Amino acid sequence: MNALAETLEGGPVNGLAEILDDAALAGRAVPRLTDAADLDVPAAYEVQRAVIERRLARGERVIGVKMGFTSRAKMVQMGVDDVIWGLLTDAMLVESHLDTAGLIHPRIEPEIAFLLERPVRGPADAVAAVGGVAVGYEVLDSRYEDFSFTLADVIADNASASGFGHGPWRPLRDVGNLGLVMEIDGRPVASGSSAAVLGDPLRSLTAAARLAAAAGVELQPGWVVLAGAATAAVPLPAGAHVRVSAAGLGHVEVTTR
Amino acid sequence: MTDNHEAAAARLLEAYASGRPCEPVRDLVDGVEAAYAVQSLLTERWLAGGRRLAGRKIGLTSRAVQRQLGVGSPDFGALFADMAVPDGEEIPAGAVLQPRVEAEVALVLERDLPHERHTVADVIHATAFALPAIEVVGSRIRDWDITLADTVADNASSGLYVLGTRPVPLRDVDLRLAGMVIERRGEQVSTGVGTACLGHPLHAAVWLADTLAALGSPLRAGDTVLTGALGPVVPVAPGDVLEARIDGLGDVRVAFVQAGSEQEEAR
Repeated sequence: MNALAETLEGGPVNGLAEILDDAALAGRAVPRLTDAADLDVPAAYEVQRAVIERRLARGERVIGVKMGFTSRAKMVQMGVDDVIWGLLTDAMLVESHLDTAGLIHPRIEPEIAFLLERPVRGPADAVAAVGGVAVGYEVLDSRYEDFSFTLADVIADNASASGFGHGPWRPLRDVGNLGLVMEIDGRPVASGSSAAVLGDPLRSLTAAARLAAAAGVELQPGWVVLAGAATAAVPLPAGAHVRVSAAGLGHVEVTTR
Repeated sequence: MTDNHEAAAARLLEAYASGRPCEPVRDLVDGVEAAYAVQSLLTERWLAGGRRLAGRKIGLTSRAVQRQLGVGSPDFGALFADMAVPDGEEIPAGAVLQPRVEAEVALVLERDLPHERHTVADVIHATAFALPAIEVVGSRIRDWDITLADTVADNASSGLYVLGTRPVPLRDVDLRLAGMVIERRGEQVSTGVGTACLGHPLHAAVWLADTLAALGSPLRAGDTVLTGALGPVVPVAPGDVLEARIDGLGDVRVAFVQAGSEQEEAR
């Protein structure tokens, strides 16, 4: 437990979670929590958990985790030396179409996704628990004005998670240096190597297991782990067709309206 | 005009000889054609001096770099056999002026590419195999203060190059989606992908084949083609050891000799 959460006895944590949850529901940006509240990283994860609890109360189900700040450049930019994580719910899973009207300022980025087929109690279990790997994408939609936040803010905001999708699951293979290309309406908008994800997306999976274990969460069979962005995120317009391809993993597509 | 070209070539040769970068040559070089004329003067001089032409390099293959220089097409320079460094061998200090490193796909040809217009099929047919490569680019021009004319005249900022040693047939590798990473002491310093090179390294090779044929010096069997960077270029310092990996092609290393005297000064 952390000092702030203890002294606030959860009340303000729930209040902050409500601000973020309402912003997501209304599709309206809010000022940064840290502009008004004194929020450290442990307290920010408390807020994140409370945001997820509100989603669960509406009938959503946790189906995975997402990793953030997995690129060296992003860590330097944010002045941090560890990755962050957020939770994915079934309501965030996009099949083939995404309505951007309810979103604030969505961005999209290419991802490598892992499917777990066994429970993961700790980092040592993580790689052996993988049942499949796929090319994926994540839709980010910070609930903060101008997509601007501190480390604590973005953690509280469930690491900007909004939506995600993935291509067909393939047997686990070496994914340490796969080329990824993201196209919008047939034009390449971002490209890179999966090596940009902590040197190898499997390291991100292991980090997910470590953070989950530290938080007392057991990663479940059937859960998806989004390992982190291989390139910078790009704005996701309405009426767009997005296709993400990765070497040997095929592709995944989403159409927005 | 021709006097200016001679003067530009002389300025660049003086930088090579003295090991001191020179002023830009754009004051003496009017346009891209003139810049290639200067590059040709250098090439002729070097061939006359006994150097063996081993192939060509393609530069300016990334959209970002093209935008930076305000150009819409790549460029090329000459590769000489003495510019090839064995995998992992140390490069002496000063061997390349203002060195930077990038990872590329190298194609080694087994057929000539003499046509006015080439297709991707022609290039595939002419390619014996691909290798992973590190290009050590350099600039004879002070502080890399280059325009298109400067870099073209300066042999497309060529320096040295290192080839991997395990040949891969094109049918066995997806060059479009080949991931690329460069590491220095395990720290990642550049990442990229095949599409970063004009959409596909083979597209760059088609451009080169057409361009050289038009100039009357087509690509020949045995030539090595460095097709262009797959990601951001990396500045290097004495003592650096870098490893580049291209998915499906393997890895290749380059090392730069420690600057002994500078080290002692630092103590």
